[in-house]
Amino acid sequence: MIVCVAVVGYQNNPLYIQSFTDADDALKLHHIVHCSLDVVDERVNNPKKSGPTLNETFLGLLYPTENYKVYGYLTNTKVKFILVTTDLDVRDADVRNFFKRFHAAYVDAVSNPFHVPGKKITSRTFAERVSTIVKSFGLSSVG
Amino acid sequence: MVDPANTPLGKMLLEEITPVVMVLCTPLVEESCLKNGLSFIQMLSPFCNFTNIDVPVRTASDQPYRLQKFKLRLFYASDIRQPNLEVAKERLKQVITQAGEKDFSEMWSDPPQVNDLLSRPESEILPSWFQFFNEELVRTLSFSDHEAFDHPVACLLVVSSRDEEPINRFVDLFNTNKLPSLLNDGAMDPKILKHYLLVHDNQDGASEKATKLLTEMKSTFGPNDCQLLCINSSQDRQIHHQENPWAPFKSDALPTENLGCFLNFDDFNEIKDLMQELSSKHIIPYMEQKIRVLNQQVSATRKGFRNQIKNLWWRKGKEDASDSPNGPVYTFSSVESQIRILGDYAFMLRDYELALSNYRLISTDYKLDKAWKRYAGVQEMMGLTYFLLDQSRKEAEYCMENAFNTYLKLGSAGQQNATRCGLWWVEMLKIRDQIKEAATVYFRICSEDPLHSAVMLEQASFCYLLSKPPMLHKYGFHLVLSGDHYKKCDQVSQSLKYCDNVPNSRSSNILQCFHLQIKHAIRTYRSAVSVYKGTTWSLIKDHVHFHIGQWYAFLGMYDVAVTHMLELLACSHQSKTTQELFLRDFLQIVQKTGKTFEVLKLQLPAINISSLKVIFEDHRTYASAAAASVKESVWHSLEEDMIPSLSTAKSNWLELQSKLMPKKYKESNICVAGEAIKVDVEFKNPLQISISILSVSLICELSANLEEMNSDGNGSNIELQNDENKTSTSTRDIDSSSILSEVDLSLEGGETTLVQLTVTPRVEGILKIVGVKWKLSSSVVGFHNFESNSLNKNVAKGRRKAKYSPDNYLKFIVIKSLPKLEGIIHSLPEKTYVGDLRHLVLELSNRSKFPVKNLKMKISNPRFLNAGNQRELNVEFPACLGKKTNVVQSGGHSNINKVLQNVFLFPENISVQEETSLSWPLWFRAAVPGNISLYVTIYYEMEDVSSIMKYRTLRMHYNLQVLPSLDVSFELSPCPSRLQEFLLRMDVVNKTSSECFQVHQLSSVGKQWEISLLQPVDSILPSQSLFAGQALSCFFKLKDRRKSSTSEDSIPSPSLLLQSDVRLGPQGNSEALFDVYSSPLADFHNSERLHQGMPLQGNEYKVDFVFISQLLKGNIDSGAPNTPLLISHHACHCSLSSMSSISWLVDGPQTVQHNFSGSLCEVNLRMMITNSSDAVASVRISTFDSPSSSIQSSDASAPQPGLPPENQAGWCDIPVVNDMKVITSDALATRFTKSVSLESVSQFIWSGSSSTKLRLQPRSTAEIPLQISVFAPGIYDLSNYVLNWNLMPSSEEEKQGEASKSSGVCQGYPYYLTVVQST
Repeated sequence: MIVCVAVVGYQNNPLYIQSFTDADDALKLHHIVHCSLDVVDERVNNPKKSGPTLNETFLGLLYPTENYKVYGYLTNTKVKFILVTTDLDVRDADVRNFFKRFHAAYVDAVSNPFHVPGKKITSRTFAERVSTIVKSFGLSSVG
Repeated sequence: MVDPANTPLGKMLLEEITPVVMVLCTPLVEESCLKNGLSFIQMLSPFCNFTNIDVPVRTASDQPYRLQKFKLRLFYASDIRQPNLEVAKERLKQVITQAGEKDFSEMWSDPPQVNDLLSRPESEILPSWFQFFNEELVRTLSFSDHEAFDHPVACLLVVSSRDEEPINRFVDLFNTNKLPSLLNDGAMDPKILKHYLLVHDNQDGASEKATKLLTEMKSTFGPNDCQLLCINSSQDRQIHHQENPWAPFKSDALPTENLGCFLNFDDFNEIKDLMQELSSKHIIPYMEQKIRVLNQQVSATRKGFRNQIKNLWWRKGKEDASDSPNGPVYTFSSVESQIRILGDYAFMLRDYELALSNYRLISTDYKLDKAWKRYAGVQEMMGLTYFLLDQSRKEAEYCMENAFNTYLKLGSAGQQNATRCGLWWVEMLKIRDQIKEAATVYFRICSEDPLHSAVMLEQASFCYLLSKPPMLHKYGFHLVLSGDHYKKCDQVSQSLKYCDNVPNSRSSNILQCFHLQIKHAIRTYRSAVSVYKGTTWSLIKDHVHFHIGQWYAFLGMYDVAVTHMLELLACSHQSKTTQELFLRDFLQIVQKTGKTFEVLKLQLPAINISSLKVIFEDHRTYASAAAASVKESVWHSLEEDMIPSLSTAKSNWLELQSKLMPKKYKESNICVAGEAIKVDVEFKNPLQISISILSVSLICELSANLEEMNSDGNGSNIELQNDENKTSTSTRDIDSSSILSEVDLSLEGGETTLVQLTVTPRVEGILKIVGVKWKLSSSVVGFHNFESNSLNKNVAKGRRKAKYSPDNYLKFIVIKSLPKLEGIIHSLPEKTYVGDLRHLVLELSNRSKFPVKNLKMKISNPRFLNAGNQRELNVEFPACLGKKTNVVQSGGHSNINKVLQNVFLFPENISVQEETSLSWPLWFRAAVPGNISLYVTIYYEMEDVSSIMKYRTLRMHYNLQVLPSLDVSFELSPCPSRLQEFLLRMDVVNKTSSECFQVHQLSSVGKQWEISLLQPVDSILPSQSLFAGQALSCFFKLKDRRKSSTSEDSIPSPSLLLQSDVRLGPQGNSEALFDVYSSPLADFHNSERLHQGMPLQGNEYKVDFVFISQLLKGNIDSGAPNTPLLISHHACHCSLSSMSSISWLVDGPQTVQHNFSGSLCEVNLRMMITNSSDAVASVRISTFDSPSSSIQSSDASAPQPGLPPENQAGWCDIPVVNDMKVITSDALATRFTKSVSLESVSQFIWSGSSSTKLRLQPRSTAEIPLQISVFAPGIYDLSNYVLNWNLMPSSEEEKQGEASKSSGVCQGYPYYLTVVQST
């Protein structure tokens, strides 16, 4: 199950962070997302030598904590998407697919002329769309 | 790569993993030593560390090598046991607490910024106590039975020369039941190297006895193993060791204590030699020897292929048997233990190759035996050996990890070992610059014990900070985690202490005990703050600040707590409950401080600086706030021609000013003492909960004297912000020099409120508005300085905006008090109907002591508002509008003469005296529907000419909403049968939704028109009232009375028609008609005319009407419901557009009886032609007989030759409809053609000249005789004539460029003549 998704701006400022748990663990998830930024930076600054990772937006598993797995995705504008999940075996393809759809939703949200770049994303449509994507992620991985 | 031995870990290993010497001594030995303030071991300790021992060593291999550094560890036998876990923990805790106290005391300064931290060397960043803590932690694991390096290698037996029977004492000392459990339970070989030492205290006498004893000892224990040590050779206490070698070994020594005071230089050297000899001559050779022996044994039993197979097979068989968790018990005589000892001895003698091979050998055995703890221990040692050999990093790490994991697998039993292993591993990683990995290892070390975890996490965080590049996010996260753990161990201890605490003990002390580690928690959180500072991760930030604040509050450091809590106040992103919590805690903490907090830029509530608006009055004064908010340009244009020329006024004023005040204040604003400066500030509550703010007021500085400001002496300024005297009134009097208003307000969640604050200076000087302050709860005072961010300030006053620097914008020169008029227009409705006519009163009051004069008034919209006459002040309305029969009506009533370019001059003799008021009547009429802004400005001059300002203006602004009421339209058409008469149709539609109007009167303006009803109103509108949505059409006859003078009026007019007003109300109503020529109505009518762009004296062919109705129960004005309203509608310039300047009428008999048997019939007709224009007209009448030619003539102005046709005139058959105006001569022509075609034959001819030409003087009527000859009886249409007219324009008309026609051709009107054959 995805417990949290986040959009983090290029200055590492949170643009959107949404948890999908019932428990009151927003702070924890914030910390996890915040911490994972270090790993993103690391990945970006020391790209793997292998060829296919060139221009790859998907950063893969950032780091596994005790209970969570954190995946990252970096857009060309240095906006980071972070996915925190409790699933233990997640297929890379699923995560890639998730990020692709999430990216599309994000692009639509920031294309809104009323969105101020660099400010938090407050669009309700975006939130709905994200929760749909998150839900479908759960389904596809189960099935 | 540096030499591993020189790295921190290497050094530590060389210190820690060294041979242990067990010391057994008698109490008398200790006694002698204690004279120096030292125990025996402490006395020897400084000499156990050899940096250059230079001993050749030959271990298993034949190649000897030399050992340079060497160290012995001395322990009393009683200390050689596994330390008590609880005691160890307590000691560690103490270490941490002490460190916490120490660091905390240094923490008053601001926490270091991350970037500063990074620029410092590593040693400064890392708290020094970490190292100490780690060492202590490692030491808690000494003398474990699964490792051999802590097992004593040798035993030092010490007996004093004073002891009785020293030889027996030596034997007694090595009594088995006193020996450590390690030796007793078989974990190690009790047959260890023994060394016998006799200690002689020289203070007890000469050493002869001792020497004798020594020889005795030598004979008993062997000559090599016995020695004599003489101490306390110094007889006086005067020996001071420059660099006291004992100081580091006695941590709790007092500085006054003179350690080793009886040990002179000889003693010193003697001890040194003793230790050197013990190491090089006894311990090292002993160890060498043992290694060689053990190695031979191991080789014999384990080395070689055969042995290995055997071993493997043997182990396998044993496999099922051993099931105990720690694996089988190994005694010292077992091969495994011996291999381990061999490895450890080799390690201690730096023969790492040998050590490693043995460790490898034993590790597989232990693994097969499932002796996990031993296995892990061996792996750990392998890792360290690899490290010290500086080869195969991977192997080293693998071994460490393996050891670590194995320890962890053991559960709580292995936790301590795992910690130690982890620490070594971390050190290893750090040395290899794998700091990030080190951090993860630190993270993994964390155990259930929160305190240890906290320290480890903190160390991990520093690893992240020190990694390249620094991982600040993780640094912050681990700091927070660490802080949480520190806090947690406090909670644990707290709950423990609660259980067994005496309730009456001193609470403060208990509190202090409870929060042992909270200081660490604060420290870590404070460091974390620097990570999150400036980011927008507000949830985390709030969490950190909140907890720091809380913890400081626990410690009673409320001041610091408050500064952190302040960060939380604007937490709009938090949930409502969290916001409540934050605010409550904040206020509680503030309360506990017991003082008022003054906070610059308090975030609650937020102040919208861009909303800041200053309203002050210099020579411009405002009647209301609405007036002040109107743009300056509006007023400026309104006052332009009223106030004295700006430049002259200003130059005077500047002249005066330059004498008074320094140049830099020239551009300042002026305000008048005693008059309030208003400042509008917008407060916004960012939270979802409601907050109440008290005592919102401005902070001002008023320097009473201009000269003081000159000398730049800010100290002399009167600070107006002393808020000690709280009064219940809403205004405060400060230093009696100015008055500040105070506002209390309550803001709901998310609410924004505009607050108007005022400051009223009372003395002359310079006033500066510094900022605003308010109280959140009773003890938090927030400040906000306006100057601080004045960039986006909305300057309300625009006149000299460009010149203002923001500083000056809030700086005012206070001049002495001046008269000021206050004005109000009474009973001006806010909402009314179009046409509403009212009598209003303007009241001007002068509150000052000086009179004002030369009043002038200008009203922006004279259609709506007009100044009345002083006489009209107390008249009764609307009765005053009624016609006064005894007053001769004349146009002179109107106030036109008083109005010059819309400026109303009050009579010269009018002045407003001190503390009186002047009332002046105003007439109001709602002219057009819509939202109307009325601007009224009143100019007045001071009688006191000496004052700086010569004049002031009072500006009033009113907004009103005018709703449509009645829609009145008029249509005028010429009367077909009468010259100078017109038919008037009036259409009235009630456009309101609910009101009922009563029609009252219709008047035409101008004396020349008579108006009369065609039918009584009763018949069309019996109720006289026009209900909502109802429409009314009414027909009137309108007659131009001027013409009767020039031409004879043939129609006798009834006396009723001889008036310009017509009553539409009920006939029986005796109510007087209103006089449209008297002041208000006439004035407004003129305004309407002006508005429509017509001259006051208009074209006389255009008629103006005034329709008056009444609204008996007007509900629109909420202020005065059910008052009757008088509604007047003005329609100007109603005219017939087709009405030409020339009109004519053919007059004659309708029926003629004639006997055609006799002669043809001649009929005489008259044609009356009127020229209603101001020019001379020339008219030519052409008659023609043939209908066909008449058609031709219709499109050609040329006169038709031949006989003039029969002339006809009369009503044309055009219906009186709206499209009167569009009928053209072409249309007339076609109609004419039709009529002609009906009349198939022309039976008459015009007699007389076919063309008559005449000249008509302006405004005159002429009569032309016409005659026709009829040949047969019948009905004739005498319309076959054409009137050509031509105006000769006067020069004046040309100038005006009037659009009226100057010439035209008119077809004759149809005129039917019936000729009957008479008998």
